[in-house]
Amino acid sequence: MRKIFLISLIFILALTFTAQADEIKIGACIYRFNDAFMLRFRNAMTDEAAKLGAKIELSDGRDDQNVQNEQIDAFINDGVNVLIINPVDRMASQPIIDKAKGKNIPVVFINREPAPEMLNSYEKAFYVGAKAEESGTEAGELIAEYFKKNPEADKNHDGKIQFVLLKGQNGHQDMILRSKYSVEAIKNAGFEPVELASAIANWDKLQAMQIMNAFTMAIGPENIEAVIANNDEMALGAIEALKNNDYNKGDKNFYIPVVGVDANASALEAMDKGEMLGTVLNDADNQGIAAVRLANALAANGDIKAIGYEITENKYIWIPYQKVTRGEKK
Amino acid sequence: MAENVSKTKKLFTVGGLIVLALGIILYFAKTPLGLARKIYDLPVFLIIIGLGFALKGFMSKAKSDNDLELSSKSFSEFLTNNAILLAMLVLVVVICILQPRFMQIRVALDILTQSSTKLIMALGICFTLLIAGTDLSAGRMVGLASVVSASMLQTATYANRFFPDLPQVQVWLPILIAIAACMVFGALNGFLVAKYDMHPFIATLAVQVIIYGACSLYFDMPPNNSQPIGGIRPDFAQLGQMRLFAGIYKGFPGISILIPIAVVICVIIWFVLNKTVFGKNVYAIGGNREAAVVAGINVFRNIMGIFILASCLYGIAGVLEAARTAGATNNYGNGYELDAIAACVVGGVSLNGGIGKVGGIIMGVLIFTIIQYGLQFINVSPMWQQVIKGVIIAVAVAIDLTKYRRK
Repeated sequence: MRKIFLISLIFILALTFTAQADEIKIGACIYRFNDAFMLRFRNAMTDEAAKLGAKIELSDGRDDQNVQNEQIDAFINDGVNVLIINPVDRMASQPIIDKAKGKNIPVVFINREPAPEMLNSYEKAFYVGAKAEESGTEAGELIAEYFKKNPEADKNHDGKIQFVLLKGQNGHQDMILRSKYSVEAIKNAGFEPVELASAIANWDKLQAMQIMNAFTMAIGPENIEAVIANNDEMALGAIEALKNNDYNKGDKNFYIPVVGVDANASALEAMDKGEMLGTVLNDADNQGIAAVRLANALAANGDIKAIGYEITENKYIWIPYQKVTRGEKK
Repeated sequence: MAENVSKTKKLFTVGGLIVLALGIILYFAKTPLGLARKIYDLPVFLIIIGLGFALKGFMSKAKSDNDLELSSKSFSEFLTNNAILLAMLVLVVVICILQPRFMQIRVALDILTQSSTKLIMALGICFTLLIAGTDLSAGRMVGLASVVSASMLQTATYANRFFPDLPQVQVWLPILIAIAACMVFGALNGFLVAKYDMHPFIATLAVQVIIYGACSLYFDMPPNNSQPIGGIRPDFAQLGQMRLFAGIYKGFPGISILIPIAVVICVIIWFVLNKTVFGKNVYAIGGNREAAVVAGINVFRNIMGIFILASCLYGIAGVLEAARTAGATNNYGNGYELDAIAACVVGGVSLNGGIGKVGGIIMGVLIFTIIQYGLQFINVSPMWQQVIKGVIIAVAVAIDLTKYRRK
């Protein structure tokens, strides 16, 4: 009898001990592991979770919403305290929110934003991400800042910025927003933007190079004051074309500022060589950290206002894009 | 009749000499007249065109039997047969008026440079067209070759290397590997077509999808994870960017190395098509397959040869594109096969097989590139460019088919 009592006591003690030591368990569903941006995002999340002493489990949605839904069910059955979801299809987020709401598990969406009415249907649903239009704004600001610092960049001294615009795939949301807001940012900085020419180069270096070659010959490199590309690859293609015309090879007098978006390795190298003015980085590190801190605070019923990131409308954490010039984060 | 013939010769010679003289006068007069910024290098072009016509006039005197004859019937025939060429000439004149900067030597050289890789592709694809087939995998092979070669030719200091521990190998080694990879898939194309008598359209469509998938898998390998390949070694980039005779006189931009490469390949392909048994077999199989079999031509071997040779040329084009842009992604070359087929068709290669010349293909590629470049030059909307491109293809094929029917 005593023996049984002792054993059950130890058992109960062990149970309570494990329950107390039970750390916060975060279930994170990524739309696809094989994505360079999400790779950085994932690494930032695991590092931050380790710092906070939370346990994070990641699943690979393999770019299939059905697969991801099964993984979410498995996480819920496994007893996770909070979910971080990078939905495969952002418009299919409602069932996920309903599931989490049914079990009263907080859910933090990342990178792909569910519609506001979906997020508003559950008070413990949040979103951490970047505003796409900001990438355009900051690219435009890079140009404007360069012109403020280097008045001679205004080659014809008319106070306007004569630029060439290289766009991504036709109809792509990023292409529309980046094109619009980069030009707007130049305007807001007090310069009048003048579009000399623009073309769709489908995010492609080769196409951008051929188009830029023709533009350079048609307009004359001495008349182009800036090149704005919707991504780094096209910016690099434009730079190859400019180098072909003996521009951007190091001589200050034969230089046209070129900006892109992404901050990929080739762009950083081109900036180090002085061939490219700057680029804009979608800040995966800070998004990952913010998502994990928010999830951790939600799971621990802690103060979500004390995580070091501003929460707007009690729903969103917006991580700004970062300007990158000469290979360094600004 | 004979009088007519000599009149044509005279027309060519005299016309050519007049253009030549005009060119020379303008060349010396443009600076004093203040036209230098208005007509750019027009005089040089006039001199070249004038010389060309004058020489043609002289040459046709030497062999009078295959000379042009001038009559209203032959004239209208001439118009229809060269409708695309004439349309291009009109377009060029319009572009020159709208944007005089088009009349620069460097623009002409740039067009030739852009034509070079396209020409190499078109020469490859023409073999498959000559046997009344096609090759839809050509563009993806360009992508494959560019990714494979670029992935092994990055500088040691680049932050995001594809193979972080790969030593700096000899340049030719990755190039050969890239071309060999294409030839493996070319052999697969040939095998499917020759062994199972599959229509090349379907066989190469299947292979196209396989190549893109395989190339994407390669491109997605860690640590690269689908990042665009950059940090290309300068010695490799030189292969596509070097300029010969640059600065020979003030402002001369130099001749891109791609142009002589394309010329050499043209000569080789011309030789293969016209002077080798393999070339004769290609025409024979394309002209009448049954007859070729009866004549004892090994169709299996020749079809394999055609697709492997074609893929070798796409591989070369891909490597050159990677070198020229100093980079690569798995999306390089997307849709190139259609441009190449269109250029061949415009250049007089019959889709029914058996008809097509290297000279025609060169013309086709040049016409296509000039039109495309010119439209870009005057900043025509990309949507309109597509429409115009489509119209050119339709008109070219229509002309080709009427010619065929007349015969």
